[in-house]
Amino acid sequence: MLEIKELLLKRGEFTLGRLSLNVPEHSYFVILGQTGSGKTMLLESIAGLQQIEGAISFDGREITQLPPEERGFGFVYQDFALFPNMRVRENILFASSLRAIEDIEELFEDVTAFLGIKDILQRSITHLSGGEKQRVAIARAICSRPKLLLLDEPLSAVDPTFRTSIMISLKQIVSRYGISIIHVTHNFREATFLADHIAIMMHGKIVQSGDAEEVLHRPMTLEVAKFLGFRNILPGSLLGKSPQRLFSVNPNAVLFSRTRQDREYCIESTIEEMVIQADLNKVIVTSSGHKLYAKVPKNMFEKLHLQTGETLYACMADKDIVWLPEAIDAGAGR
Amino acid sequence: MRNGRFFVSLFLLLGSVIVLFLLVPVGKLLISVGLLRILDTISQPEVYSSIWLTLSTAFYAVLFVAVTGIPLAYLIARYDFWGKSLLESLLDIPVMVPHTAAGIALLIAFGNGWMDRVGLGFIDSTTGIMAAMMFLSAPFLINGAKEGFRKADPKLERVARTLGAGPMRTFWRIALPNARGDIINGALMMWSRALGEFGAVVIIAYHPMVAPVLIYDRFNSFGLKFSAPVAAAMILVSVLLFLVVRFVNNRLGDQ
Repeated sequence: MLEIKELLLKRGEFTLGRLSLNVPEHSYFVILGQTGSGKTMLLESIAGLQQIEGAISFDGREITQLPPEERGFGFVYQDFALFPNMRVRENILFASSLRAIEDIEELFEDVTAFLGIKDILQRSITHLSGGEKQRVAIARAICSRPKLLLLDEPLSAVDPTFRTSIMISLKQIVSRYGISIIHVTHNFREATFLADHIAIMMHGKIVQSGDAEEVLHRPMTLEVAKFLGFRNILPGSLLGKSPQRLFSVNPNAVLFSRTRQDREYCIESTIEEMVIQADLNKVIVTSSGHKLYAKVPKNMFEKLHLQTGETLYACMADKDIVWLPEAIDAGAGR
Repeated sequence: MRNGRFFVSLFLLLGSVIVLFLLVPVGKLLISVGLLRILDTISQPEVYSSIWLTLSTAFYAVLFVAVTGIPLAYLIARYDFWGKSLLESLLDIPVMVPHTAAGIALLIAFGNGWMDRVGLGFIDSTTGIMAAMMFLSAPFLINGAKEGFRKADPKLERVARTLGAGPMRTFWRIALPNARGDIINGALMMWSRALGEFGAVVIIAYHPMVAPVLIYDRFNSFGLKFSAPVAAAMILVSVLLFLVVRFVNNRLGDQ
């Protein structure tokens, strides 16, 4: 549906691209990247708000030179950018004041009910909370009947208590209004919850993109793995493989035992540190000079009577091991 | 607490000195002439038409700069281009030059007859008066508008574009309304400067007489007694107009 080819954009010191990206129809596409990785610029390029090199096409039609008003992509900024010279209702109906929008009354009724903003339509936008402003900005974008909705960090200025409910609404937009969403964020929990496709962006480039499950569980580089919150990134030599290969293991999937267990990997290690917490205990062990971090449930911890300095086996199943591809790692680790 | 009270008292005292200095001459003038004589003076055809000439010419000057200077201010606020900061400094020059010098410069540029040939006139004409007023006060409106556009978040305009508004509609519906306060303030500043313009106007057009020239003329020919009522009338009319414009603007802003 949306296809970006070799996009390049330079602004001062910063270079975005070259990057290529494919956004499938009816998808919730999350672009995940750190602050300053160029996510907003990429969204603005898609919307036609930045002059770029390269090509963007939508539904097979080249739109690279099309001005934003002719692209029909809705945009929601991080700080919402509501028009201060208009009330809530006029903000939402702005697009329909410019041109005829199909069944606008019906759409307006539906969107304002769906987002729960019927009671604030007459208000001035200066008296809205962060969550309300955000929903008004989304309603305004949907009421232009966009072909694609671009969301720039839409949850970062919203009170954490409302985030989950807004995320649920966001997820429903795709099927309810039949539009695809491109959502940029630095928060991988948002991505985990919302995305069915993910692209990881670093230093102005897309470093990995694909099916959400695939990207979240199979990072292609060390940098991506670290960014996605992978712990225990260790050399393969610990598991009897090549030391050049790196693997990662989920801290919840490490089983401690005094005897070898029926698991693919059991490595001898020494307990270095234990942190006692409410629901589980954190245990850090060392093996051949490498630190392995594990979370041990309370009951297990008490049964084993673990002691600092004690040597025991840390066992892991093959299914819990994520191997990071070595060829790309050599590049990422440079 | 005691220290705080001393601090406020001291600043209050210093502040009242300048307030008195600014208000006493105006108040004294209005009181010494008296409302009846002011009204009587305004009703004299010569005074009446002179005040009207001043107000209307200054208004046209503001209008001209609104149409040409607001687009310029928008360009400066929103786009980066070669020579932008030089252009901004050049635009401030008229504020710094002596007014009579500005009058001479205008005379040299426009007073050599070509304005007459295109039917606009210059020397001793309202066009000349308007030019003199405009030259010395345009930066107030341009800078006010520039400030207003700079304060407004450009993202508002970008969103408007994504919602289907072209550049022109975005300017009218979003950029202009959100910079309105600063533009109106700038326009009022420009207008008030234009109303009081004397130095440049007197060089280009002694006649028809704008109010500042009329006050000067009467003072020179007949003395204080005859010029004071005209001065008082001019002050009263401009203060009233100011209050009305501010009031209307605030009411519109509250909607």
